[in-house]
Amino acid sequence: MIEQFFEGFGMALRVDTFVMMSLGLFGGMLVGALPGFTTLMAMAILLPISFFLDPIVGIPFLLGIYKGGIFGGSIPAILISMPGTGAAVATSRDGYKLTQQGKSRKALDMALFASVFGDTSSDIFTILMIFPIAFLVMQFGPPELFAVLLMSLVIIAATSGNNPLKALVMMMLGLWLSFIGTDPLGGVERFTFGLFDLKSGIPLLPMLIGVFAIPEVAAVVMRNEKTRQLSALMGERLSRAEFQRCLPTICRSTVIGTAIGIVPGLGQVVAAMMGYSAAKNASSHPETFGEGELEGVAAAEAANNAVNGPTMVPLLTLGIPGDNVTAILLGAFVAQGLRPGPQLFEEQGPIVFAILIAMVFCNLLFLVIGYLSIPFFSRLVTIKVSVLIPLVIVFAFAGAYVFRSDTVDLLMLVGFGLFGILAKIARFDVMPMVMGFILGPEMEYAFGQTVAMANGDAFSFFLTERHGAFGVLVATPIFGFLLWRRMQKVTG
Amino acid sequence: MKSLSLRMTPEVTVLLVLAIAGGLGVLFIDALVAPPKLLFGRSLTAITPSLFPVIILSTMTALSILALILLRGTAGADRDAALTHGEWRRGFIFFAIMTFYALVMEPFGFLISSIIAMTLLSLQMGNRSVWQIALLSCASPILLYLAATRLLAVSLPELNIIELAYARLLGE
Repeated sequence: MIEQFFEGFGMALRVDTFVMMSLGLFGGMLVGALPGFTTLMAMAILLPISFFLDPIVGIPFLLGIYKGGIFGGSIPAILISMPGTGAAVATSRDGYKLTQQGKSRKALDMALFASVFGDTSSDIFTILMIFPIAFLVMQFGPPELFAVLLMSLVIIAATSGNNPLKALVMMMLGLWLSFIGTDPLGGVERFTFGLFDLKSGIPLLPMLIGVFAIPEVAAVVMRNEKTRQLSALMGERLSRAEFQRCLPTICRSTVIGTAIGIVPGLGQVVAAMMGYSAAKNASSHPETFGEGELEGVAAAEAANNAVNGPTMVPLLTLGIPGDNVTAILLGAFVAQGLRPGPQLFEEQGPIVFAILIAMVFCNLLFLVIGYLSIPFFSRLVTIKVSVLIPLVIVFAFAGAYVFRSDTVDLLMLVGFGLFGILAKIARFDVMPMVMGFILGPEMEYAFGQTVAMANGDAFSFFLTERHGAFGVLVATPIFGFLLWRRMQKVTG
Repeated sequence: MKSLSLRMTPEVTVLLVLAIAGGLGVLFIDALVAPPKLLFGRSLTAITPSLFPVIILSTMTALSILALILLRGTAGADRDAALTHGEWRRGFIFFAIMTFYALVMEPFGFLISSIIAMTLLSLQMGNRSVWQIALLSCASPILLYLAATRLLAVSLPELNIIELAYARLLGE
């Protein structure tokens, strides 16, 4: 493991990795700073670029977009009280008040420093923990894998929106869509209706761009959004004393965000809300929260960025994407021929370490680029939407096309985009559907192998031979229910 | 007491469609899934190719019906922030432009179809500056085309005449 770490360290020190990470950070901040545009959309649209780069360059490029985008989302949240993402909602509470008090520069600096601190700490934790967890996962057989995949799907449904029943319905739809094409066990055709284009199944990329990026663009078009007025970037920079005052809060939020990041489905919104609530509860002056308190910005930003590293743990060890952004990262891994799962550590250990170490380097670049470019990105909130929308659509179409060079993918992109906007109108979360679609083949494979091992008597098999898997299966509904209750409390 | 009637909101419509689709999927599973491959009269796998889909489709139907039952009496007008007529119209035009773009990309080529799509989208978004639209619609597809074909070495659909001119321009 130590040799793999050092080999990975050397691999991460490539110049092109740093260049692409910087571009990713810049692009992420750029998109995050545009009101109505999100990191998710940027990642979905720019995902195809990563396919044509080396894994150690392409995946850090996407990670750069991810990290930059989350911080970028806090810029409109602080300056015009328009959080670009759910994760920035808690930031906007105090951030915008600080802007109204003429301290927007301090708020943005605090958001940057807290983000980098939270992210770097959680990335180091991830590097330390990921191999022991992968070793544990290597002991899993098909029954355990099936039980863990089922539990992940239930957790994702329980933590997705207010109605877990609707989330489960969407998950079933995603699993159904994953059946289209060729059966992973027997190799027979299913749900293809005799169409040649469906024989290889539904491609992931048009689905990801379609359900994540297109509905967001469509929402901007439908609302007929124009540009916004920006009050000038004002006030002094953040002082060392102010940062030190907020440091305990940042550390607490980092721990909260790291713990939340490991559990699939919870994500940045919950982390930001919990970090903010914990800071308010622990504060000797809770009445200042929501009135322009720097600690409020620090708490929310450290917590939501601390989620980034640990979400890689379930992704890389089990192939379970914890949220929609990691679902896109999973697409990048698969396209690069790196199938996440415990075997990835055996086969490609140095590459895994290189990517994780690149995440830490990315944070250092993030600090420098973010510090220097805050004034530039602050101007972006006023850019004309009429210029951006056509550009985003052409990027989305080109991206969906280049992977398979098949125009059917473009029609699928439009179809999934239409489905995404209808789901938005009907208040269905598409995230469980994408998770079901991604995990479906693996789940069916594990299920088939489990049935074969059980010789037709699955119940006795689980009860007598597979206690761990049985325990996970029994705990799944209880855990799902408890998480749903917790989510209801946190998100109010 | 909850009302027995269901108001046809988008939420209810989606659940109904999924319940019906799942039910039909289970009913016609033999037509939708090919029979398993046999070797000396025995199946190659422990489960039939239709077993897992039947479980999932049945669960989807059951969950959709359960969700519909729980929605009774709560799916009132106050639950849905209905879209305005203008929003529906803008959404329809937007998807019409995207469908047109997807359909014409192969016959027209990437450059021409992108120029048309970008012009239409710019107009839809209220841009009325001819110079801005012309610059944006022509420059961005060309730059993207060059970036894709030269930097990423991938192909985008193009008319023969444009590909020929492009190849000549680059001296290939």
